[in-house]
Amino acid sequence: MALERLSDVVQKCQSLPDDSYSSEDHDTFTAAGRTCIEEGNSAQVLSIVLDEKNQNIVRCLGWNLLPPLIQVLMKKEDKSISQCLAIFNHLLKTCMPKELLIGLLEQLEQDDPDAIAESLHLLLNPLQKVLLSLGSRKASSLGMTLSLVLDQVAKLPIPHSKEQEEDDVFSLCRCCTNLIDFIRPFVQEVRENFQSSKSTDSMAGRQDKEDELQTELLKFCMKTLSHPLLEVQLKDPDTLPQSPLRTFATEILNTLSAIRESLPALVYQPLLRRKPVPGFLEEEVRYPKESLGCLAHLVFVHHLAADTFPTVFSPVFSLRCNMEHICLLLSRTEDFKVQKGLELYEKSLVRVENSSLPADLLEIKTFLMVPQNLVKVMTLCQRHDLRTKGLKVFQMSIDKFDTEAKYHFFQYMLKTSNHSGVEGYIIKNVKNQIDVALQPGNSNTWFEGVHLLPLLRKVLSLPDGPETDLLQYLDRVMESLNLLRYLVIRDKVTENQTGIWTELYKIEDMFLKPLRVGLNMSRAHYERELHSTMETKKKNQAREESVLSVSVDDEKLPNMTAESQIQALHSALHTFDMIESVLVRIEELIEV
Amino acid sequence: MAAEPTREWSEEQLKSDDLPKKDVIKFIQDNAAHSFLNEHKLLGNIKNVAKTAKKEQLIIAYNELFQSKRFKGTEPVEDVTEKVKAVKIDEKPKEVKTEVVDEGPPKYTKSVLKKGDKTNFPKKGETVSCWYTGTLEDGTVFDTNIPAAARKKKQTKPLSFKVGLGRVIRGWDEALLTMSKGEMARLEIEAEWAYGKKGLPESKIPPNAKLIFEVELVSVD
Repeated sequence: MALERLSDVVQKCQSLPDDSYSSEDHDTFTAAGRTCIEEGNSAQVLSIVLDEKNQNIVRCLGWNLLPPLIQVLMKKEDKSISQCLAIFNHLLKTCMPKELLIGLLEQLEQDDPDAIAESLHLLLNPLQKVLLSLGSRKASSLGMTLSLVLDQVAKLPIPHSKEQEEDDVFSLCRCCTNLIDFIRPFVQEVRENFQSSKSTDSMAGRQDKEDELQTELLKFCMKTLSHPLLEVQLKDPDTLPQSPLRTFATEILNTLSAIRESLPALVYQPLLRRKPVPGFLEEEVRYPKESLGCLAHLVFVHHLAADTFPTVFSPVFSLRCNMEHICLLLSRTEDFKVQKGLELYEKSLVRVENSSLPADLLEIKTFLMVPQNLVKVMTLCQRHDLRTKGLKVFQMSIDKFDTEAKYHFFQYMLKTSNHSGVEGYIIKNVKNQIDVALQPGNSNTWFEGVHLLPLLRKVLSLPDGPETDLLQYLDRVMESLNLLRYLVIRDKVTENQTGIWTELYKIEDMFLKPLRVGLNMSRAHYERELHSTMETKKKNQAREESVLSVSVDDEKLPNMTAESQIQALHSALHTFDMIESVLVRIEELIEV
Repeated sequence: MAAEPTREWSEEQLKSDDLPKKDVIKFIQDNAAHSFLNEHKLLGNIKNVAKTAKKEQLIIAYNELFQSKRFKGTEPVEDVTEKVKAVKIDEKPKEVKTEVVDEGPPKYTKSVLKKGDKTNFPKKGETVSCWYTGTLEDGTVFDTNIPAAARKKKQTKPLSFKVGLGRVIRGWDEALLTMSKGEMARLEIEAEWAYGKKGLPESKIPPNAKLIFEVELVSVD
């Protein structure tokens, strides 16, 4: 019987000095003790463990009993809970911290979300006590613990809606709250060490130890900013007055301040040349870019820690720094990261006056990369709301540039976006800027006068000459035509403020004539296709030989029915009609 | 000496909105004596003068010019010699990246509360550290980094940043360049050189808010 074996080995060891327990004794104690607990004999185990005479063996080997004990404690309905709890607490007081740490950490490694949440809830407090008893050697153990804990937290599903956060079915919120309680004494210790190191100069050796503690806490904060905080959608106080996740985020920011990592320095870090920090973490590892992006989002979008963030920085400077974070977030594929990038961009732009950003900002790499990333979002993102928001922010960014900057920006986007829809949108913006420039008092050299013509030449052209696929480039072609139509109506021949009239003969050659040719060719082609399709349909040939077939996931998609084909062809022809109508109108206006 | 200049515009033309202020100013600057321009505050960059002078004032000056006949070249010799003595040679700065447009009078005021050492003035690009308190005109404190005596001693450091590079609101950038190490000053910054029309709602700064700061320049790097 396990209980007998346990009693025997314990008695035998009573008379032996500490370090002479044999490995056999060790194994017997462990096996027997565990079995007793598992079988429900914890009352007897408790009395053995509490016995004065057994304290040596308990101190050396007691920690081996942790696994079954913790299993019982996690079950909660077990009859022997109170005894197990008593054994547990006694072991915590008696055994060696290093070994307790190992035992406790092992029990954190659960796979099932419920078990993960339970083990964290149960064990964080004991872990804290054990770590505190490690004295000045605690830093690396704390680091190991925090790392493991966060890995476990990462396995818990994140609540998305307000109701989910309130219900906290998977206990993520509770874990986060527990985490803040867990780190509190360590943060306090770092704080106190800063204070005392101010008054005593010569604590070089001790200084390093405390820097290690600070580093571990910094690592922890940075890791939480990546997960779960980057994925969490915080609810504002009006929506959810009590939000454990918002509290958690705020506490992380407060912790950073407490450990002397100034929030402005972190947020503005991309632009500041930090002095290399002596220590064992390289800059990139010490301040992971995604974590900093999340931090910027918390500060600028959610206004957490707003009352401690200095209100003296200029909005343009904030924008410049945030562009780095925005660029990173927008370049990611995960929707939640893209969303945060868009929100941060929007908030940064809103603070800047319209038409105030100068052209030299476009020499900064991120000011060119962000629009590129934004185009990808607008055209490729799966979520409709993000595509829409992307467009809104894109326009806002244009509005903030001054006239010269807008000019250069439009040139750049026309050259690089490679997307007809985007090009069309830019051309519409060009038209608006010309319209503004033509109003009295707004005259400038960019959208009328010297610089306008080179831009117009780029816009009023067909990408592939007469062979341009008009359907593919529809957006761009239509906007170009609209712009030309606007110009010939708005700018009188006698005034020619934009220079369009003197340029017209070139535009006719480079744009209007090839377009005419292309239209005729396309129309002829599609009309022919339509005719033959209708003939085929009449002859009722069920199986049409098509050149292409498309398979998805091993399933061949059905060929387009004749009906659909006809519809598509009609639609194409209608498009050509549309293009032609504007073209004809322009030709009329020119002739007059 | 050139012949007396003639009137370019009639009364109606002068009063008309079609005639821009700049044209009138240019005319007067081209034709009036230095002392005349000085008295009527028409010296300097045309843009500036246009901003500060009203059309009515310009019309009055224009008419006075012809009445008093204080054209260029009618000044006594002494004035001219004085001016020659005061001639300065302005060195052209090597790198002119952005055109500095003189926008007019500074949009802040500074009153010195405690004198600095008057020798260590920060230059553009240098790092400065300050203690500060910011209040709105109604006295609400919206920001400070001074550890309050009453509260438990918190680990605060003075705010450090590189001055003169547009990293902070313009009022601060301009004011700090005029302060020396150790100086404490009260700055009243108009909205245009602070947070302008938008303000900073999340930090309790309303739109078009004039901001008042007490700043102490602790160190210059």
